[in-house]
Amino acid sequence: MRPAPTRASADRDRRVTGDPSTEDLLRELAPQVLGMLMRRYAGLDSCEDAVQEALLTAATQWPSSGRPDNPRAWLLTVASRRLADILRSESARRVREDAVYLATPPAVLAGADSWLAEAGPSGPRDSDDTLTLLFLCCHPALTSSSQVALTLRAVGGLSTAEIARAFIVPEATMAQRISRAKQQIRAAGARFAPPDAADRDQRLRVVQQVLYLVFNEGYVASAGAALQRADLSAEGIRLARLLRRLLPDDAETAGLLALMLLTDARRAARVAPDGALVPLMDQDRTRWDRGLVAEGAGLIAATLASTSALGPYQLQAAIAAVHTEAASVADTDWAEILALYELLARVSPGPLVSLGKAVAVAMVHGPAAGLAATDELAGALARHHRFHAVRGHLLEMSGDTDAAASAYGLAARYATNAAEKRYLERQRRRVRDG
Amino acid sequence: MKYMLIIYGNQELWSSIEPGDFARELAAFDAFNQKYLESGELLGAYGVADAAATKLVRLADGQPAVTDGPYLETKEYLASWYLLDVESEERALEIAAELPSAKYRPVEVWPILHEAPRAAGADPGLG
Repeated sequence: MRPAPTRASADRDRRVTGDPSTEDLLRELAPQVLGMLMRRYAGLDSCEDAVQEALLTAATQWPSSGRPDNPRAWLLTVASRRLADILRSESARRVREDAVYLATPPAVLAGADSWLAEAGPSGPRDSDDTLTLLFLCCHPALTSSSQVALTLRAVGGLSTAEIARAFIVPEATMAQRISRAKQQIRAAGARFAPPDAADRDQRLRVVQQVLYLVFNEGYVASAGAALQRADLSAEGIRLARLLRRLLPDDAETAGLLALMLLTDARRAARVAPDGALVPLMDQDRTRWDRGLVAEGAGLIAATLASTSALGPYQLQAAIAAVHTEAASVADTDWAEILALYELLARVSPGPLVSLGKAVAVAMVHGPAAGLAATDELAGALARHHRFHAVRGHLLEMSGDTDAAASAYGLAARYATNAAEKRYLERQRRRVRDG
Repeated sequence: MKYMLIIYGNQELWSSIEPGDFARELAAFDAFNQKYLESGELLGAYGVADAAATKLVRLADGQPAVTDGPYLETKEYLASWYLLDVESEERALEIAAELPSAKYRPVEVWPILHEAPRAAGADPGLG
């Protein structure tokens, strides 16, 4: 087993430049340079470490020595030299099972002159490489937390320290997760090649799910952690934009990006000054980010108008768009939301979707119908805070304040997010005290 | 998602274990810790000293007043805890069942509600 952390120097915080444009450029180039290395030398673990070290070198050198004329070629040269060093020290330590490494003369690796011609402006090949890299990082042999960590490092260009901080785990733990994920990919016999046509849709769903996890990890953070973790939402959106550039015709990718934009638009209105959650119904809609709303709503409208391949991200984005179009809860087109939930329950059935649908049922047909719709979910969601929160809301709508207060109380007890717990406890007290 | 696993113990139980068995138990705990540190799911494992070593700190008129711990007469007290970061509750329960002590003592599994974030640049460098 490879010791962790693999190369501590590459794991140190790179954000020493204080120059956001350099940081952005490096992170954009990271998957392209890694793709170019991997096309020739496979071995995700060594190539990825080499690219991280090149990024670190760039971040520390460019501010004083100036940005090179061709940043991609510069990074590729430095990364290939680092790769030669890594391979040399590894092959000195033990005989590699992978003949490719031993068959590669270090001088060739270190020179890399012939590559530089390719390292000019990015082309279609880079898109293919970046997509292949995403598929590799979201390999089905990995757990979702490993997929997330590896994607953030290899495609997102974040350092292990940055990822560890975002997930509030020790850096050693995150380094261990990343290095283990690389071993598992190797053990699964994965190559640097796009998935087979037969698997492609399924694999793409996994990539989308990983990006959504990154986004949500930042979005549902509790108040104390919100500042650091908001970066993860921004990163989820950045990666979803990247995936959309790579696959402009994929409707679910467009739906995913639209859903993130429409959700993120409500960020400022979503948490009260004391850190309690503010649910959609109570949000100050003037605080929604109109730019993000317009972009997300425009994207989902255009997507739905041009595709017949409806999927869960598109439908969730469409529901979010209906909410953001309304000036208030009363103005909301609940019949439209109910129709969208019915479609969503068909393409992506599950108890939480049914719970969302029950709220729409209540808004269209009254609280009694909504409560009846939640009855069948009592088994699956008995210990889920959201089930009791919805019951509390619908019971309050129906005028049964005692039952509403105890439902909110149960919801608060089951909540595992501090902001939600605070909000639900406040609801319980408000209903109880009339 | 983060979970805390808690094991309670009592002096009677520890005293009843034969020395040879005790070494085997410790080795089993070491193997458990190593396995889950390597999988990236165990963030930390801690065991407390004997209840006799516990102190209690109170503020009396704004001044700390230190006395012996309250647990000397208590049969059962917190013995060790483990901080996990895992995919799901099922995974936390699965790992809890693998604790070597689960054979003879129940393990409590608590979801973590709140955790202080680390400030940028203040990583303690546990690696």
